[in-house]
Amino acid sequence: MKQIKIPQEQNSTLDGHQKVMYAPSSNGKFQTYNYGSNIEEYATKLAVEEYEILQKECLKNIQNNISSPIEYYMYQHRMDIPTLASVVGFFQFRVKRHLKAKYFKKLNDKILQKYSDVFDITIDDLKGFSNGK
Amino acid sequence: MENNFKHNQFAHCESGVVSTLLTSYGLKISEPMAFGITHSLSFVFLPIIKLNNLPLIAYREVPKNIIKNIDKRLGVKIFKKQYKNMVQANEELTRLVQDEKKLVGLQTSVYYLPYMPEDMRFHFNAHNLLVYGKENDEYLISDPVFEDVVRAKENKLTIARFAKGVFAPKGFLYYPEHIPETIDYNSILKKSIRKNAKSMTTPFPFAGVKGMVRLAKSIEKIQNHPDERYIKNYLTHIVRMQEEIGTGGGGFRFLYSAFLQEAKEHGLDNHKLQVASELITQSGDILREFALKCVMGAKHINKLDSKEISKSLIEASKIEKEAFQILKTI
Repeated sequence: MKQIKIPQEQNSTLDGHQKVMYAPSSNGKFQTYNYGSNIEEYATKLAVEEYEILQKECLKNIQNNISSPIEYYMYQHRMDIPTLASVVGFFQFRVKRHLKAKYFKKLNDKILQKYSDVFDITIDDLKGFSNGK
Repeated sequence: MENNFKHNQFAHCESGVVSTLLTSYGLKISEPMAFGITHSLSFVFLPIIKLNNLPLIAYREVPKNIIKNIDKRLGVKIFKKQYKNMVQANEELTRLVQDEKKLVGLQTSVYYLPYMPEDMRFHFNAHNLLVYGKENDEYLISDPVFEDVVRAKENKLTIARFAKGVFAPKGFLYYPEHIPETIDYNSILKKSIRKNAKSMTTPFPFAGVKGMVRLAKSIEKIQNHPDERYIKNYLTHIVRMQEEIGTGGGGFRFLYSAFLQEAKEHGLDNHKLQVASELITQSGDILREFALKCVMGAKHINKLDSKEISKSLIEASKIEKEAFQILKTI
């Protein structure tokens, strides 16, 4: 059995934890080994950063009256439209509409309450949204 | 039951949970065995289904496949229940782990687990873990991808158990009820391996070996994509799916090779098992190289050579085709 190299690199996304993988030992039998992979680290970090970029872009869109704060919080919670739609219990096309500033302004408190429950914030956080904090 | 329970760290959450669970209830099953018997190795590439605008790619069977199939294959009886009512779900869990001292498996969402590292939190709803006790309002948890046991407050764990979205767990809870006296591994393994070989060599163009080729072609096309950010996200998405969003991948190919090695103890054609196991290990190694190329491509987009990346995947697909054609005849 061909030996495989077990990566022993840093992976800061795991907060000091280590994962295990299977690999053949010298006698051909498989066993688990601790490993750290900076390939995985990069991929995970990029995915996290993507949400941060989306948030920043969204802030600009909110200032320009294109996007609604719901979109901002959606990215903050690392969700996409299908996930948010499922959590909040609306059809996707409705959620899509709620992400636009134009429609957002017309939303009643009942709908806003549903979103604020999902994001664990108050209605006022949504209504009086200024810069995300 | 708690007396027999020993926390172990595993490569993959679902097979790890099933292994610990069955072992503590008296049926010794390793993680590779749990993975292999339930024919869990797979490959799927479905461009129509999008996750965060990126196509669905999976390197193993759908979540819950192991729990669903392990009882059918081995003849064990597993109690499974989903809940509508959160209060009832908690009452029953408390009764099981505190009064009956049972070890219980749960399906949860990674995003809402309080002990998960911040960067690992994504909306992946099919993470499995074990609960082995309760102290005050905290559940004692054995999470198979962590080195040590962890804890979670009742209210936090409840949110994770009732997360919504794809694969919504709905409080899913399970534990073995009955373990058969004798198990005929020889015929079980034969069936499982053949079934896996069949699914990997399926004519359906988006799954198995053909799915790999399909993905390779799609990667090739990305060279001329106008949006650099999309290319970056696409390439790293492929890598992240390889490791199941960090919740315990560690190479499903290696896991399956380990299974084939272990299957040699049960009177099958050992030569075929050995050859196939070596081939699949080789494929796993190439897939890691493929992941490295994907990441390098994303890091240095101006030097991106998508043909080079897809070549690795095609190579892996050829090797797997060969391996599973051997396994088909086992």
